[in-house]
Amino acid sequence: MTLFKQIAIMLSIFLIIILSTVLTLNFQSANQSVQDRLYEDAKNTATSLSLSLGSANGDISMMSTMINANFDSGAYKRITLVDVEDAILYERKNETEVIDVPKWFLNLVSIKAPIASANVSAGWSQVGILNVQSDNSYAYMHLYRILKSLLLSFTIIAIIGLIILNLLLHAVLRPLKEVQKQAAAVIRNEFIIQKKIPHTKEFKDVVLGMNAMVTKVKAMFDKGNEELQQHRELEYLDKTTGLKNRKYLIDRLPEYLKVDSVSKGGISIIVALSGMIEANEKLGRRDVDKLFSEIADIFRHSSRIYKNSIVARMNGTEFTILLPDCPNEDAISLANNIYTSATDLIEEYELNNEETFISIGLYEYSHMDSIAQLLSHSDNALAQAKFNKTHIHLEKAEEAVEVMGKEAWKLIINQAINKNRFNFTSWAVVDAKNKKLVHNVLSINLTLDKHTSYSYAKFMAPAIQSGLSCDIYKNVVHMLLKTPDMILSASTYSLRLPSEYLEMPETYEEISNLLRTSASTLPFKLIIELPDRMVRKDSKYIKLYKELFEQYNIDIGIFEFIGESDDYQYLQDLRPVYIKGESTYFLTQSTQALSALRLITDSIGISLIAVGVMEKQTLEELTQKHITIIQGKATELIEF
Amino acid sequence: MLKLKVLILLALIFVSYSQAEEFYVKKQLLEKIATKYKVFAKKRFFFLQQTLDEVVDGSDLEKLEAVNEFFNNVRYSSDMKVYGKKDYWATPWEFLGKDRGDCEDYVISKYFALRYLGIKPKKLFFTYVRSTKFKQPHMVLTYFKTPRSEPLILDNNNRKIFPASKRKDLTPIYNFNGEVLQKGKKKKSHKKWDQLMLNMKRKKI
Repeated sequence: MTLFKQIAIMLSIFLIIILSTVLTLNFQSANQSVQDRLYEDAKNTATSLSLSLGSANGDISMMSTMINANFDSGAYKRITLVDVEDAILYERKNETEVIDVPKWFLNLVSIKAPIASANVSAGWSQVGILNVQSDNSYAYMHLYRILKSLLLSFTIIAIIGLIILNLLLHAVLRPLKEVQKQAAAVIRNEFIIQKKIPHTKEFKDVVLGMNAMVTKVKAMFDKGNEELQQHRELEYLDKTTGLKNRKYLIDRLPEYLKVDSVSKGGISIIVALSGMIEANEKLGRRDVDKLFSEIADIFRHSSRIYKNSIVARMNGTEFTILLPDCPNEDAISLANNIYTSATDLIEEYELNNEETFISIGLYEYSHMDSIAQLLSHSDNALAQAKFNKTHIHLEKAEEAVEVMGKEAWKLIINQAINKNRFNFTSWAVVDAKNKKLVHNVLSINLTLDKHTSYSYAKFMAPAIQSGLSCDIYKNVVHMLLKTPDMILSASTYSLRLPSEYLEMPETYEEISNLLRTSASTLPFKLIIELPDRMVRKDSKYIKLYKELFEQYNIDIGIFEFIGESDDYQYLQDLRPVYIKGESTYFLTQSTQALSALRLITDSIGISLIAVGVMEKQTLEELTQKHITIIQGKATELIEF
Repeated sequence: MLKLKVLILLALIFVSYSQAEEFYVKKQLLEKIATKYKVFAKKRFFFLQQTLDEVVDGSDLEKLEAVNEFFNNVRYSSDMKVYGKKDYWATPWEFLGKDRGDCEDYVISKYFALRYLGIKPKKLFFTYVRSTKFKQPHMVLTYFKTPRSEPLILDNNNRKIFPASKRKDLTPIYNFNGEVLQKGKKKKSHKKWDQLMLNMKRKKI
């Protein structure tokens, strides 16, 4: 419960107790004064009537008449005349009790009309005592009216009092609300500096302290961001040509060479420049660098039309152009263009094209290739090209002997989608240092029947080829949220969602509807993993997804991180709980680059997780770089 | 040993007797009266006690005469002169302390002295009368031996006690007794009486 609520309840109770007490005292006082009034009336009647009775000289009939006259004209409950021996001489009492007030009021309030007495004498001798009691029905009605008006006025006072109390509390505790917002922002790793410093000393100290802390953390983040940017330039860029370098290519390749890659394959081109020693001697280093730069422009220009293409300088004389989804014919045509343009350029520099020339090796890669396979096949193609007259050689992919044809797969996958034949499997992400499970990563199997089951790695590639991957994810997300019981343990699970699924126009609405109906009943904590490539683009969907997941207390993770961004502000905006990168990415980072990344992630509470850790040695190397949370086969080596 | 027992017994008897003995005006209050009204006032209260002690075992009539005689020696003075008020009912301590008062003050002091002497309240009444001689309102104390017998009149104008039939100069108007009217735990009976009782409770001197 918030402090505001606690104080509000306390003060409200206090106010209501005070008002109730005042109301009760007021009512009691009114009750007393009504009873006093009743007595005074009775006493006045008793005295004046007793004096009148004195003139009757003890004649009972005369006295009775006098008493009747008084009783009938006034509001009395009883008038009694007793003699000196206490025997009743005459009595009148009101038998009918018509009191126009609710019964509960009669039960609640007791008004006993007091009896006033006066001596009655006849000359020197005593006649007796006259007792007069007023009628209390009037008193009841009067008191009931008083109670109603008291309740009404006190209710109004209470309402006005509570409203004023609420406004006052809001005003007094407004700085606290701001402090609370700032504290909540700190928990969410947001950097909010409160400009309005409250006047209340306690709040002022807290705000100044938090501002100082937030400023320091923000400075840490900015420093890390700046260092990482500088480092990225050093790490990934070739200064001469402005192209990416070999390291960049190697770090990016896992994204292209995986079972569920968006692109099923393409062309990897290696361009080698021969005769550069001679060119150096002829032109000098500066002009050769200029030549390289202009050749790089040709590569850049040629690959521009291919989405997600990479142009990287591999070493002094070799360049790689990776063209996903590029058909062989287009690649050959592109290679020819590059060759012609480069040769023209060499001639422009008045170099001998017998000595200085380019060779282009093309390899038709598949997303199922390993990095080593891709590089060695590309090298083979280049070696062949160097001996070719045209200096261009295309090495085609070996025809994979597929167990099932594309159509057969399509049939199976469609069947699985329609009959919902997917089921979850999971593997652990482990903190090797503290020897504990961090979370489980969800994957899916396709189970046709008791005997036939396909792993994600097997069916996903053909699914992508058949354009069914988004339907599978749609199915899986529905299954996860609608039938979460399929996952038995009540732990934390992450599910990786690819950008092509997330960016489909209807996906957001579907996930949103599913979460609205099912998020509250999920028996486990869910983390949705989004690809770094998608989140760093600041896509319009990211903001929507972030708000949606936040609303349902679902954390966000980032996968396929290679630190490629120009600005890491997006990490602060998205505030993922972790970043997953290939183990090779972390291992190839320099100490400075990694510590800059750490500075950023630590300042906003993001964990770094290395995926694809298969061997003990890799784990040890990662541990030396303080990357201790791992995913992959090596988790089996850790006992927890 | 026997002597010691006798001494202890005597001492106990003396102590119990002393405790039972109650003065009309208690010592502590008497000291305050002495401080306020000087030593003569204290002497008046001493003589009052002496007068009361003399008739404590006497008949009602002896008690009436002694009390009437004693208080009728006090000088008459109007409330306006003594208290600066048109009508004020003084406590017996104020009346004897100041040694003056009007007719109600005589009646009050006589009433409480007689009550001290053990006369029952139902026998005594404050009676409003009209004095035909002075043609003005007046108050006397009336004593009824029985509720239906002829009352005796204790008046400060006429120093002797007479039966009512002998007092042709007085016309009775109204009788009252606050104590009788308060019967049955009533808190109020008569406004002047109630105020007087409050003053007595507060030991007003």
